[in-house]
Amino acid sequence: MNLTKYITKRILQVIPLLIIVSIISFFIIRLAPIDPLAELRLNPSISEETLQKEIKRLKLDKPIYIQYASWAKSFIKGDLGYTASGEKVSVKLKERIPNTLLLTSVVILLTWLSGIPIGILAAINKGNVFDRTLTVLSSIGMAIPSFFFAILMLMFAVKTGWFPVGGLTSYYYNELSFWGKFIDITKHLVLPVTVLYAISLSGLQRQMRANMLEVLDSDYVKFARAKGLSEFKVIFKHALRNAINPMITLLGFEFAGLLSGAALTEYVFQYPGLGRLILEAVMKSDINLVMASLMMGTVMLITGNLLADILLMLTDPRTRKSQEDV
Amino acid sequence: MKKILGIIIIFFVFALCIKGCIKADIPENDTKINLSETKKEFTYPNKNKNVTINGVHYIQSQAPVGKFGGELVISTIGEGPKTFNPCNSKDATSSEMAGLMYDGLVSTHPATGEVMPQLAEAFHIEGNDYYIYLRKGLKWTDGKPITADDVIYTYEEIVFKGLGNPSAMYAMMINGELPKLTKIDNYTVKFTTSKPFAPFLRQLSYPIVPKHYFKPYSDKGASAFDAFLNPNTKPSTIVSNGAFILKEYVAAQRVVFERNPNYYKINLNNEKLPYINKLVFLIIGDTNNQILKFEAKEIDVIDLKGDNVARYKQQEQNSDYAIYNLGASTGTLFVVINLNNRTNKEGKPYINPVKQKWFQNKNFRSAVDYAIDRKNMVQNIAFGVAEPLFTAESLNSIYLNKNIKGHPQNIKLAKELLQKEGFEQKYGRLYDKNGNLVEFDLYTNAGNLEREAIGVMIKQDLEELGIKVNFKPIEFNSLVNKLTKTYDWDMAIMGLTGSPLEPHDGINVWASRGPLHMFNMRDSKDNTDDRLEWEKELDTIFEQGALKLTYSERKPVYDRYQEIIYEENPIIYLYSPTRISAIRKKIKNIFPTRLSGILYNLDEIYIDSGCPVKENTRSGK
Amino acid sequence: MNLLKKIWNDKFAKAAFIILAALYLIILFADFIAPYSSSYSNRELAYAPPSNIYTIDENGHLSLPYTYNYVRQYDENLMQTVFKQDRTKKYYIRLLPKAEKYKFLGIIPTHRHLFGTEKGGQLYLLGTDINGRDVFSRLLFGGRISMTVGFLALLIVFPIGLLYGGLSGYIGGFIDTLMMRFAEAVMAIPSFYLLIILAAILPAGMTSVQRFALIVVILALIGWAGFARVVRGMVLSIKEEEFVQAAKVLGASKWRIILKHILPQTTSYVIIAMTLSVPSYILAESGLSFLGLGIQQPDASWGNMLKEAQEFTNILYRPWLLTPGGLIFIAVLSFNILGDAIRDFLDPKSEIRR
Repeated sequence: MNLTKYITKRILQVIPLLIIVSIISFFIIRLAPIDPLAELRLNPSISEETLQKEIKRLKLDKPIYIQYASWAKSFIKGDLGYTASGEKVSVKLKERIPNTLLLTSVVILLTWLSGIPIGILAAINKGNVFDRTLTVLSSIGMAIPSFFFAILMLMFAVKTGWFPVGGLTSYYYNELSFWGKFIDITKHLVLPVTVLYAISLSGLQRQMRANMLEVLDSDYVKFARAKGLSEFKVIFKHALRNAINPMITLLGFEFAGLLSGAALTEYVFQYPGLGRLILEAVMKSDINLVMASLMMGTVMLITGNLLADILLMLTDPRTRKSQEDV
Repeated sequence: MKKILGIIIIFFVFALCIKGCIKADIPENDTKINLSETKKEFTYPNKNKNVTINGVHYIQSQAPVGKFGGELVISTIGEGPKTFNPCNSKDATSSEMAGLMYDGLVSTHPATGEVMPQLAEAFHIEGNDYYIYLRKGLKWTDGKPITADDVIYTYEEIVFKGLGNPSAMYAMMINGELPKLTKIDNYTVKFTTSKPFAPFLRQLSYPIVPKHYFKPYSDKGASAFDAFLNPNTKPSTIVSNGAFILKEYVAAQRVVFERNPNYYKINLNNEKLPYINKLVFLIIGDTNNQILKFEAKEIDVIDLKGDNVARYKQQEQNSDYAIYNLGASTGTLFVVINLNNRTNKEGKPYINPVKQKWFQNKNFRSAVDYAIDRKNMVQNIAFGVAEPLFTAESLNSIYLNKNIKGHPQNIKLAKELLQKEGFEQKYGRLYDKNGNLVEFDLYTNAGNLEREAIGVMIKQDLEELGIKVNFKPIEFNSLVNKLTKTYDWDMAIMGLTGSPLEPHDGINVWASRGPLHMFNMRDSKDNTDDRLEWEKELDTIFEQGALKLTYSERKPVYDRYQEIIYEENPIIYLYSPTRISAIRKKIKNIFPTRLSGILYNLDEIYIDSGCPVKENTRSGK
Repeated sequence: MNLLKKIWNDKFAKAAFIILAALYLIILFADFIAPYSSSYSNRELAYAPPSNIYTIDENGHLSLPYTYNYVRQYDENLMQTVFKQDRTKKYYIRLLPKAEKYKFLGIIPTHRHLFGTEKGGQLYLLGTDINGRDVFSRLLFGGRISMTVGFLALLIVFPIGLLYGGLSGYIGGFIDTLMMRFAEAVMAIPSFYLLIILAAILPAGMTSVQRFALIVVILALIGWAGFARVVRGMVLSIKEEEFVQAAKVLGASKWRIILKHILPQTTSYVIIAMTLSVPSYILAESGLSFLGLGIQQPDASWGNMLKEAQEFTNILYRPWLLTPGGLIFIAVLSFNILGDAIRDFLDPKSEIRR
């Protein structure tokens, strides 16, 4: 099967997936006993007529399948609708998605840069104290509830004054020079990145270790060793390349995991990302917003997987056959 | 080698255990830090004066003259503004921001609460006619003059048509009739109401908007108007008249305002206000993050709650902030009981008839009231930074009925009240006279530590009477849905914010058809024939109260309504938090008042840090 | 058993195993070990610090361990609450004192607790919370929920995942494609988003048992799909093996082949996946409770107890309220270490994705 055909097939597969996802999420949210207008209702200065107007606007008086149909119709047209508070959903997403992408890509970059070497080191030293200590150390970050870790980090920021307490930019951001801006954003990113990094490091490290072990056990590595190549050469020239290949598949998954793992961290750090947006939207049952961000999250996830698969096909011809089975 | 290591480790652990177990009993030293008492009295600002210079009718602030320049960083809790259209704001944050950008005809005196001229230079009332004289020579930010046409446009084409948030229209209606508006000359307008209506004058604080800028959108209809001035509008295109001009809005992060260089308020030296160059609102998700930001010196002002008060109080002397005690706040916390005895569309009662009997019983409700331990609630949950509350008006309301003194927890009396109504306690459980076990649900919104803790306490209090309470914190929106739509609840812990100036605002809660008449909600199909005696009286009170014009006439009417609530207990009030704020000392011209808080005079506030610090701190960070 | 022996020979795994075993033992006997019940509350002493236990008395002599009661004082001026020890009376710590009545292991009614003070004394090993409840006791009762929620969720995930994956893989063809598309759709929704959406729709006004059960179900709902996919993959390869083909030829029914021949082959994967996925459920429960969507007051779980850590002053002045965080950390870390070790023993090459 050639590459273009494979890609088209995969993209076509995505469509029914999106339909199922949208139906599942739409009905789950709408069945919730949550009133999107609750806050308005409790505000003594809001009249009954204002509420009626809002109900009409949000189509809350129509049956659920009609609500879904009208949502789906506009979604296909590329119109994501308005939030419960009357803002354009597309504008809101446009504000948030780049921030979340920034956060996640920095975290992924860092975990890869450190997770791969740690995994290799652990694999080479398999079973001894060094290996076990590395594994335990890397698991530590994963074992703390992320929100708790984030809160402790915020306390750290307050006590030392080294980092700003949450957010992404300072209020005087626009007056800064280019490098000033860069430093400002970096300062804001350090703490959330640390939390997410600690959480996602161990997964990658373990996987790399497992892959490396498998490869080191394989015939061609044994053969290379038998040939009398130095251990350094065996590991870095032969084993490493083959061990990293399957990691590419993991990239897509990691991206997805971070996307949802970041929600609580964004929430605690008041980071203006997609996760915090969706969290707040769910709490208010803001259907258009939840649906749109869910779909975006799903699309990002699927795209991530797709890209990873394609990348894998390009780097490792052996997988082409097995990909067709899945 | 390993064995030795192991032995050493075990030895250490053992030693640590011993160390932990042996603790000498040495009495602590009683050292008490003596701190200055919280100031409770403040010098209130004098009334503003009107001054005319070069044909412009300015307001002259009587506050001390300050320094120009500097930035004030404050915060707003939640998601930030949803619109900058002052006619369309439905939430507190949007209203606050729009209020900075657009002024109304009148405003409220921060200390006395009386109505003061704002865009209007003066007003006078003749019977049902309200004459408004506009200031002359005032300009919109784009240089066009502010005239009576703008006022007429704002009221006739926006408010009276119900564009944006139609609540303003209903607030101005008297028996379904809107007032008439007449233009007398370019700077004078007259409102005529069909009947005398006390809350009317205050309604004129509605923001006046520029006709030439708003009309193209209001002509296009409701949805175009709703989208107008949404948060993504380019700030430099906005035409306004308030003390501050929008400069930048960054979603979920901040809103930045700049001073309006052409504002019509001047200081005693006749220099144009406001003093501060920049006003920054950081958008902060919750109070926990807010306190961290204050601690990290990222924001300048904060409202303190609970034991943060003690912490900041202790450190006040060696710090860069001052703490102000503003007395009881407008917030109230209460338990509401469901008195609904109607049936839904299918003819099924909203709540179990057995339970209805208890809740309809006045003495049962009183027993619940007497069982509640407000003292410990204030002490444990609010850390003493609150006052017990027994009245429907909040403690800082000018209409507070001071004759209602309240009562301490009295389990014995509560038990007697229940016995009188045939309730009986058997094996620690309470049964009604028909032998039904008294058991019901108590709801509150989950995630609110304060209310959850209150729920746990009330559950324990009522269990002393033998009542079985199922305490169920549920998601906020679902709770509101129960209270206002499905009516399937027994008791709930809620909070509302009242108005300290205008008791008529409570009509939503107390009128038998009010949209927040939680304890006995009626939907559109229900009629009001089944009103309870005291519900009828409340309806009359709220009708009459609005028709009387003077404070002395209105006071007894609203005193009576608070008595009714205190006696009938459909809503059992718990406590009202004390409002305590911390503000950096470098911020001057602060005259906190009980009514308006701290930051009501942003145009008079100035920053005096001794030296041009702001620039230094930034590079030093 | 071979596996247990191997765990015992590995230092890290042994430590993790012992810690977990101890934790489960403690929560099993929570009523007995805890000096107070989970609903006990002393409202005169909200946020009291941990009791000091003295073994050397004021004269410097060795003594049996004793403690003083706290008294709360409120300073109007400072708006501050202070706790003072009431030094007029000593309360000695006793073994097996009589206290609140409970049912030992849910059966035997008794008054005896493992330890406590003399009558009238207070013993708050880890202080009290906002309602004046003993944090130490609630930690034990909260552990019952937090430490079991994962296992209970797995009890739902595994049958569903095994059957779904097994059927899909065994039948193959169009049905397989359809079933897998559905599973992928569930997986494609970012899991935490799905989790909070589901938790937000829990009907209001359930009893705490119902709520607990539904939270278990919700946690299970997001976990089954990934598991089913892996099982399917395994089944695909197993069904080509000779012994399955042989069973087919011998005329065994489809169900019999799936249940008797194919699924047992996945045992080692199941064991590994179990130990490695329990921690994620513990963390998910704590995240949900943190947002107010999980276990609700007055019930205790480590997650909802940790909610108090949100308050800045609690972290500064009342660190004992953060102990649930420490326990979550220890439990999750132990599960991870144990899971890693088991994986190495059973199947050193396996790749397990979650």
